[in-house]
This record gives sequence, C-alpha cells and structure tokens, in this order.
Amino acid sequence: MNIEVAEEREEGALVLLPVGRLDSANARAFESIVMDHIGNDERKLIFDFGRLSFISSSGMRVLLIAAKKLGANEGTIALCNMQDHIEEVFRVSGFDQIIPIRDSRQAALEVS
Amino acid sequence: MPDLHVSLPAKLTEVRNLSTAVEEFGDANQLPLPTVFVINLALDELITNAVTHGRFEVPDPTIDIHLKADRDIVTLTMEDNGSPFDPTQRSAADVDTTSSLEDRAVGGLGLHLVRTFAHDMSYQFVDGRNRLTVHHHFKSESA
Repeated sequence: MNIEVAEEREEGALVLLPVGRLDSANARAFESIVMDHIGNDERKLIFDFGRLSFISSSGMRVLLIAAKKLGANEGTIALCNMQDHIEEVFRVSGFDQIIPIRDSRQAALEVS
Repeated sequence: MPDLHVSLPAKLTEVRNLSTAVEEFGDANQLPLPTVFVINLALDELITNAVTHGRFEVPDPTIDIHLKADRDIVTLTMEDNGSPFDPTQRSAADVDTTSSLEDRAVGGLGLHLVRTFAHDMSYQFVDGRNRLTVHHHFKSESA
C-alpha cells in the first residue's frame, strides 16, 4: 500500500511530510522513499509530521533506520510538528533520546 | 453501546480497513480520541506481530477482533488460528529503549507499546485458538 509523502526543500534540508497514516500497511513504501533519498546523498532530512494522524512501530522502525544511516554518514535527522499522542509514542519508546524532536520546522532546521 | 466484531484474513493490509471500523466504534461509543488512537495502535502491533512471525500454518489464516466499551473500559479481544503464542510472556526487558543510536535494536517495540498503553493484558489458548484480551481504561468525555 502506498503513502503520500509531500517533499519540500528548505535551507539545504529535504523536508518530508507523510500524510495520514504510517502503519504496518504502508511502512514498506515509506521505507523505500526515505532510503532512496538517503541513497541519493541527502544529508539533512526533516520529517514534518504536521499532516500525520497515526504511526505504529512499523513506521518508527523506518525512522530509526534512517537515523542510523544518516548518523553513520555525518548526516542530520530531525522530526517536528507532532501531534501529542504521536509524541507520547516516541517518548515511551525512548526515541526522543536518540532522534531530535522539535516543536516547529524552524527549530528542526536548526538541529545540526 | 454497539460492539465491534470483525473477522479478517491474517494480512497486514487488513489493518487499514480495521482502523476505519475502530474509528466508527469510537464515535458510536463517544470514546476520547487518544483512546481510539491507542486501540488502533494496539491492533496494528498485535496483527503485525501475528502475521510477520509466520505463525499461520493453516489454509485459512484468520484473526477475529472484538471490541466492547463498557462504562470507562474498552475490552479488546483478539483471537487467531495460528500456532500458540503468548505475547504476555515477553518481558519489558526484551525491548531496548535506552541504548545509543548506534546500538539501538531495530524491532521488538510493538509489544512494548501495547503493554505500555494498556491497563492489563491476558492470554489463553482455548479450543486450538490464541485469545488475547487487552483492557484500556479511559475517562468518559461526558463525565
């Protein structure tokens, strides 16, 4: 199953905005989109979750893999604009300790 | 207080239709949105877990979901005809939520999320079927 991911470029970063649900049904499609960008030498990825309503561990797994790959290549990853219930899932997973989460896109762009 | 009862083939893509049914169940029972979210999260994780671990060696892999809201408790029951698997036997120590980015294990998070957001979970193997019962407590919006 596909996922709509809007893309914007801002201050040298690629901003990805997944739309709707990121779940076990479409996590593979999301993984393929994200890994293509990393494979194409994107070094700064911002995930703007302003249009994301749901995420499960299948989707979080993709973010963890992306963070590992970018971290190993001196790249940067940051997440922003999460709804409260999604942020809580990241917190109880301990992801907030390893992937920068910011309130606004501007703050995410400032992560270095 | 309508219940939701769905029988679906054990496939990941079924999660999507189920989530729509769960949202309708939430509306009909006036459940708070965070409760609807954690129920959908639990279902995604439990179905993913059942399907991806290849537990189904039967010709008709089937998962039955039953949701019931009673006062301030939602009871989620999931039954399947896969081989016996008790997710409550996985302990909190099985999941890595603390190591560094480089060392962080990919996977194993799903059951941790189900357990964290649930009030309790219990498992039985009955009549050749797995039956997992999960309770979620919530505060009624009208209270």
